[in-house]
Order: sequence, then structure tokens, then C-alpha cells
Amino acid sequence: MEVYSRIVVLSLCLLMAPLPLLAQASNNSPAVAPQNQTTASPSQNKPAEQLPNAPSSTTSAPSLTDLGFPPEATQSNAKEQALLDKRTHMLKVHQRMGLITTIPMMAAIFSSAGAAGKGSDPTGRDLHLALGAVAGDLYFITAYYAIRAPKPPGTETRGPIRFHKAMAWIHGPGMILTPILGAMAYDQKNNGEKVHGIASAHVPVAIVTAGAFGAALLSVSVKF
Amino acid sequence: MDKKILVALLFLALPSLALADSQWVLEKSTLTYLVSHPLHQSEGVSHAARGKGVCHAGQCDFLIAVPVKSFDSGDSNRDLHMLQVTRGAEFPMVIVRTRIAESERTSATILVDLDIEFAGQTAHYKQVQLQLVTQGNETRISGTIPATLSDFKIEPPSLLTIPVKNDIPVRMEMVWHPM
Repeated sequence: MEVYSRIVVLSLCLLMAPLPLLAQASNNSPAVAPQNQTTASPSQNKPAEQLPNAPSSTTSAPSLTDLGFPPEATQSNAKEQALLDKRTHMLKVHQRMGLITTIPMMAAIFSSAGAAGKGSDPTGRDLHLALGAVAGDLYFITAYYAIRAPKPPGTETRGPIRFHKAMAWIHGPGMILTPILGAMAYDQKNNGEKVHGIASAHVPVAIVTAGAFGAALLSVSVKF
Repeated sequence: MDKKILVALLFLALPSLALADSQWVLEKSTLTYLVSHPLHQSEGVSHAARGKGVCHAGQCDFLIAVPVKSFDSGDSNRDLHMLQVTRGAEFPMVIVRTRIAESERTSATILVDLDIEFAGQTAHYKQVQLQLVTQGNETRISGTIPATLSDFKIEPPSLLTIPVKNDIPVRMEMVWHPM
């Protein structure tokens, strides 16, 4: 009988042991203000070989290694970050220069009325030429920053940027052809001739070029 | 006398059984962030989150992690820019930690405190409302984290010199099941 009593007392002690733990845990709820306070250092996790479905060997809070991500997915990559920073910087300059380019480009389009036709004079042609030259210079600076912007290897191009890039195959050659044809038309006009031959394509080529440029700009600005 | 002792032992063993350790695993998830700009809104979606919950002494510790680069907005240029501004190559994971009382598993709505590690910063969100739906062996959890760019000291990216809004709410849809 005495043996039974001892067993009961011992059992009571053992079985009641988790209850204080439960009480303690319920008082441990996080109560931190909703503001960022801490700064993390780049994660340098140990290689994770465990699968998420694999039972944990301990009952402590789960860690990142328990989730089974491949090591390269969780490790910091300063080189890639530097590449992304350079890319963003170059594309920001590209975007800014592209917006600036639209100003002389639009001005060149509006000034074309004074460069050709019956009411045209040499001053109107010179103004149109100057605006076209500024637009061309700014355009090629803009293009340089897009072409030279680095891209992380293996990146697949998706979304509106594909249309933006496709437009470059139209406005790029257009921005080379337009000033060449314009120079030819300029010479013919200054010689008192009517614009003829391939030089007469200056206006339609310029319209297509400006249209493609505008479409490229809108494609990354407005969601269609 | 023997029977009485056995019954007593059985009753006393019940609390211990109730506190038995259990583990949960994240089976499926859809995390969606929303970015607003005066010209348009865009969403980035990831299904790559992994998570685990460990229950002990009536409390469950949950950990959910998702690679920053797994978010797809449908525009590779925007995704690379997002990766840059959030320093996603330097801090490649978004890590969410929370603790939930095991007894709340049956509730339809719970309020949880979340610790979110992202872009080299840790932000604390108090009393985030989550909806729970338990069907058979699985529990569906959904809710929205009211995240902002400033919580993580992220400079708002701009388009045509206009910055995006500070609010970047993240919608969570998760399916958990016990291991």
C-alpha cells in the first residue's frame, strides 16, 4: 500500500510539471510596438539539407535551415547586389535622358512646319536642324545607358519591357536615317530645289521614328 | 484500490497529452504584394514560401520564409528593380515569425503579432487579423500584412520622377497541415 502511495505522489509530480511551463508560455506573447527597430546582417546560413517535411529533432522554434531552401537561395551575394545597383543607376539615367530627349524631339517636329513648304526660310530650316541635332545627340546618350546597363545572367525578359525593347528596332534605325535624309533635304532646299528622291522620305521616316519613340516611352509608363 | 490509482493516473495524464508536441508544415501558399503609383498599380506574386510550425506547451512557433527574387510582377524589369531597392541580393529572404496559442487553431479569426525580417530590417506588426478555415486535415490561413516601405527603410522607387506610395500591403493565402 505504501508503495502505491509513493507511485501516486511521484506520478503527480511528473504529470503536473508541464503546467507551470504552459502558464509561463501563455504570458510570453510578443508585445512589441509596430515599428522597425533592428537591423539584420546578411544571412549566412549553414547549408540546409533538411526537407520541410522532415521532423525536427528538437521542439524549439523552427529555424531557416529547417525549411530546406538550397544554400545559394539564402546566402547574401554582395556582387549581385552591386550589379543590380549599377543596373538601376544606369536605367535611371536612361529614363531621365529619355524624358529630356522628348523636349527637343517634339520641338523639332513642331519646327518642321517652318523648315519646309511654301512659307519656309533658311532660318526655319536652321532652327529645325539644330533641334533635330540636339534630339539626336540626347537620343544616343539615352540609348547608351540602356545598352550598357548590366543584366543578371539568366534573366528572362517578360512584360511591357519586351515591347519597349522591340520599339528600339524601329526608332533606333529611324534616328540614324532621319538626320541623313534631313541633311539631303536641307541641301536640296538651300539649292532652291524641290525636295526629291530618297530625301522626300525624311518626313515619313521622322513621323514613324517619333511614333515608335513615344510608344516605347508610354509602354513602360502607363499600364495598358 | 488498484483501479482507483489507475483512474487517478489516467486523469492526471490528460494535461500532458494535451500538451504533446506537434508540428505543422506549409503545403501551399500565395503571397501577393501591391505597389501603387499614380499611373498604375502592380502586383508581385510568389508561390515559393516555405514554412514550419512547432507546437510545445500549448504555444506554436511559426516560421515562414520566401525568397525575395521569387516574386513575379509580370515585368522582369520591374522585378529586377524591386530586387535592387529591397537589397534582395544582399538579404535574399523575407522571414516571418509568429507565435500562436494552440487553442486558437479552431477560431475563425485570430489576431497575431508578426516579426518580419526583410531588406536587412526587422519590423513588428501587432494584432494582424488572420482568417482560419479548417477542413479535414488542413488549415487555410489568409490575411493582409499592412506593410510599408518605410517600415523597412526602403527608398520608394519612382517612375517618371513620381515615387510609388509608401503602402505595400501583402496578401497571404496559406494552406498548412500537420506533419
